[in-house]
Amino acid sequence: MKIIYLAFWLTVTSCSAFAFDQESSKSWLERLSKSLQTLNFSTSFVVVKNNQAEPYHWYHGVGDHGTQYEILALLNGPRRDVLRKGDVVSYLEPEYAPYSIVSNRISSPIPTIFSGDVSKLEENYDLIFAGKSRILGRPAQMIRIVSKDHHRYGYWLWLDQETGLLLKLAIITRKGQLLEQIQFTHLDITKQPAESLQQLAKAKLPHVVDIPKNSVNINFPWRVTWLPAGFKLIKTDRHRITITKQPADFMLYSDGLVDFSIYVMPSNVKHRETEFVNDGATVVLNQVTNGNEVSIVGKIPAETSKMIADSVMFNQVSRP
Amino acid sequence: MLVDNYQVTDAHLTRMSKEPKLSDTWAHYHLIGDVLRGEMPETVQLDLSARIASAIADEPAILAPQAKTSSSVAQLKAKVLQFAKPFGQMAIAASAAGLMILGVQHTNVADNNAAMPRQVVQTVPLGGVADPVSYDVEQTDRAAQQQAYIMQQRRFQALLADHQQQIKLNSSVAAVKTDKAKEKHTPK
Repeated sequence: MKIIYLAFWLTVTSCSAFAFDQESSKSWLERLSKSLQTLNFSTSFVVVKNNQAEPYHWYHGVGDHGTQYEILALLNGPRRDVLRKGDVVSYLEPEYAPYSIVSNRISSPIPTIFSGDVSKLEENYDLIFAGKSRILGRPAQMIRIVSKDHHRYGYWLWLDQETGLLLKLAIITRKGQLLEQIQFTHLDITKQPAESLQQLAKAKLPHVVDIPKNSVNINFPWRVTWLPAGFKLIKTDRHRITITKQPADFMLYSDGLVDFSIYVMPSNVKHRETEFVNDGATVVLNQVTNGNEVSIVGKIPAETSKMIADSVMFNQVSRP
Repeated sequence: MLVDNYQVTDAHLTRMSKEPKLSDTWAHYHLIGDVLRGEMPETVQLDLSARIASAIADEPAILAPQAKTSSSVAQLKAKVLQFAKPFGQMAIAASAAGLMILGVQHTNVADNNAAMPRQVVQTVPLGGVADPVSYDVEQTDRAAQQQAYIMQQRRFQALLADHQQQIKLNSSVAAVKTDKAKEKHTPK
């Protein structure tokens, strides 16, 4: 009886401690989101994956009328710059002529949710308040974003105690294996936006391209019958794949933190065994069954991508 | 740090290490904490050493029966041993050489196979530029394999590039969506 009572007491106290944990880590993430939107900073970071390092420089500033300006530049190899002026984001890349889209988030190695509504994370992840450490010469608080199921990876964040800004990020498997990390190597917080942002404010951005309206209700001759809980359909369309120009049925799913794509296209072979590759935490899966090629791409474990690919069911009617 | 942020003195530590009840309680607290935080390893490593030690102590001692060897057998054994020894050594040397050859062949095979599933896609797309394929007259099979490998790499690169492009184009839609979701969201 005593033991039962003790166990009960332990559980109650630990649970309340856990709830406090979740609350305080959430407030840290809210602080991160606020800082990413309101501070003037100039920072550098390195994405480490596959034994390679990709260095980036990132500026953020807030102009006179509350307009946010951002520049994200890849420093190695061909120039890849992302510019943002309020609700217009421009991409300058070697493959395409410069173009702009209407958006208030830049696509970067850092998940966009961290500068948005972080409370959405709680639906699928536990937020855990972990220890303190020293990162980039600054005292940092570590927050772990741990998946509630075993179908996705965990994210570990190290946040600056002073400003709440991100100093380090790691993507970790459930077994604790490190897949990809982002290490900040320099951080300057200033009163005024950086010089290059002031120049950006005066510059004219490339023309805005029209993106076809998001049409979620296309009827494909196939459907996905299994998904990890919490992934929602973001986009459905038919388009040609960037490099091969092959037409494909496409679906994009997101759980707020992680996105993955499903591609379905007819293949010239009847059957091909499942093939995987990993690019850091991103898995690319490809398999052909009954002349239908199914591919999954995203930062999800290979097992999850295999389960999703196997769950794709084709309607009885043959393809048009 | 023993538990959360509590200051622990040496006196605490020595007392805890001496009293098994205290150290057990400490271990239980941490186990509970680990489970709640979802930090449990795939398999739980319980400390079994104490239990095994006591189990061994309880085990009745079995005395090994004395080996009975007649003198003739012993003599025979000695002779055989003397005779067999040089051959044995030769045999060992020969088998070691065999192993080496096997080993070399094995690693060759392993290398060829490992090249297939364990590649890593280059993140920056090459724009469809294939690596040059060297044609070997004797090994058309290998060339075909390499061709298949290049095709596979290209497939993966195209998919990866397209996925990244879709995320870029979609960030606008996602931004609008989260705002909508915020409005709809009602606290539980």
